Amino acid sequence: MIVVKNLCKDYGEKHAVNNVNFCISRGEIVSLLGPNGAGKTTLMRLLTGYIEPTSGEVKIFDKNIQTSRLECLAKIGYVPESGFLYNDMSVADFLHYTAQLRNLSQEDYIQNFQKVVESLELKSVINQKIETLSKGFKRRTGIAAALLHNPEILILDEPTEGLDPNQKFSLRNYIKNYGREKIVIISTHIMEEVEAMADRVILLNHGKLVKDTSPEKLKELFPEHNIETAFYKITSETD
Amino acid sequence: MKNQLISIFKKESFTFFEGLQAWIILGVYILLSMFITFFVGGFFSINNMGLFSFFYFQPYIMAFLIPAITMRLWAEERKTGTLEFLLTQPVSVTSVVVGKFMSAWFMCLCMLLLSTPLWIYLNVCFEADNLNILCGYIACILLSGSFCALGCLISSFCSAPAISYLWSLIVLFFICADDFSNIIKLFHFPLNIEIKLSNSLNLSSQYNDLISGQVSFDNFLYFIFLMIICLVLNNISVEYKKN
Repeated sequence: MIVVKNLCKDYGEKHAVNNVNFCISRGEIVSLLGPNGAGKTTLMRLLTGYIEPTSGEVKIFDKNIQTSRLECLAKIGYVPESGFLYNDMSVADFLHYTAQLRNLSQEDYIQNFQKVVESLELKSVINQKIETLSKGFKRRTGIAAALLHNPEILILDEPTEGLDPNQKFSLRNYIKNYGREKIVIISTHIMEEVEAMADRVILLNHGKLVKDTSPEKLKELFPEHNIETAFYKITSETD
Repeated sequence: MKNQLISIFKKESFTFFEGLQAWIILGVYILLSMFITFFVGGFFSINNMGLFSFFYFQPYIMAFLIPAITMRLWAEERKTGTLEFLLTQPVSVTSVVVGKFMSAWFMCLCMLLLSTPLWIYLNVCFEADNLNILCGYIACILLSGSFCALGCLISSFCSAPAISYLWSLIVLFFICADDFSNIIKLFHFPLNIEIKLSNSLNLSSQYNDLISGQVSFDNFLYFIFLMIICLVLNNISVEYKKN
C-alpha cells in the first residue's frame, strides 16, 4: 500500500507538488494525469525517493521512504520518462547489471530474466547494444529492468511512448494483468491508455490534486462523456 | 552493500576499458612519464637508484590525466539521465560513490603498473634502492587515490564531462603547486602555527617526504584523510544535487 500524506515539493517559489494526499492499495492501476508541468514526474520522483519532499511523507507498505529508502526501493520498479539506459551496454548486460544492483540471486535472475524477455519480446535484441535500439525497444528494455525483481509497485512514466500499435496493445495487456495483484502507477497523456488500463485516475494541475476518481466517473462528470473533455474542462477550471 | 559496490566497480571499470578512453590514457601516461623521467628528470645524469626522476613529476602527470578518468563518472550520469536509474535502485549512495571512486583508483593502479618495467630494469642493470622505490610507489598510490577522490567530487558538481575535466585540472594543479600559505595568512595565526599548518596542508611536501623515504604516519594520514573528506563531500553533493 502507498500512502501519500500532505506531500509538498517546492523549487524556490514554485510549488511543484502542493499538499497532495492519496492512498493506493494492492490490485489498483492508477493513472496520473495532468498537463505538462502539473507535477506528475515530480510526484513519481517523490514516490521513488529520488527527491526529498519539502514537507509531508510517502509511506510504502507502512515504511517511510525517507527513513527506509532501500527497503522501500526493493519493492519498487520504476521507469523514468527517458534517457535512463546505459547506451554502451547490451540489453542482456543492462538487465544483468540491474539484477546485481537489486541483489537478485542467480536463480531468481535466470527465472525472471526469461520471463521478462519473453513477455516484452526482447529476445531478438538481447545482445544488441542499447544505443542501436529503436525507441520502442529501448522503452521495453527499461520496463524489463523495472520488472526484473517482480516488484510490488510498478511506476511507469509515459510507458507506451515510442511503441508501435501492436507493442502498445501487448504492453497494455501485460500491465493490466500485472496490476491485478500489484500496484501500478502510470503517468500518461494518452487518454485511450487511461481508459484501457486504469482503475483510477489521479488528476494533477499546478502541483495540486484536483480529481481522484475512476475513469468511468470522470467521464460522467460532463455531458460529453469522454475523458478528454473532462480533462480539458477540469484543468481549465483549476488554472 | 558489498555485492552492489563490486557490481558498480566492475561496471565502471568495464566501461573504461571497453572504449578507447582507458587505452589512450594508459598510452599517454606511459609516454609522458617516460619522456619526463628520461629527458626532463635526467634519468642518467643524477643518482637515480630510487627512481627519483620518475616519482618527482608524478603529481603533475597525474593532475593532468586523472581528471580524464574521473570526469565522466558523475557528470555523464547526470548528463544522460542514468543517475535517476541508479539512485532509484535499492543501492546506498555511499556504495555508488565508493564503487565509482574505486574504479577510478583501479585505473590509476593500472597506470602505475605499466611503469614497473622501469623498476625491473633498474634492478637488472644497476643496484636499485628498492625500499625507496617501494616508498615512491606507495606515495603514488596514495596520491592517485586522493586525486581520484577529488576528481570524483568535482565531477559530482558538474553536468558536463568537459567542464568537470577543466575544473579538476585547475584544482589539482593548484593543490600540487600551492602550499596554501596565502590562504592560511588570511586567518592571522601566530607564525609558528602558520608554518606548521602550511607544512601539514602542503600536498607536495607530504608527497616529497614519502618519495624521499622519510615516511611518517602523518603522510599516510594526510592522504587517507583527504580521500575520506572528498568521498564524504561527494556523497553529500550527490544527495544535494538530485534535489
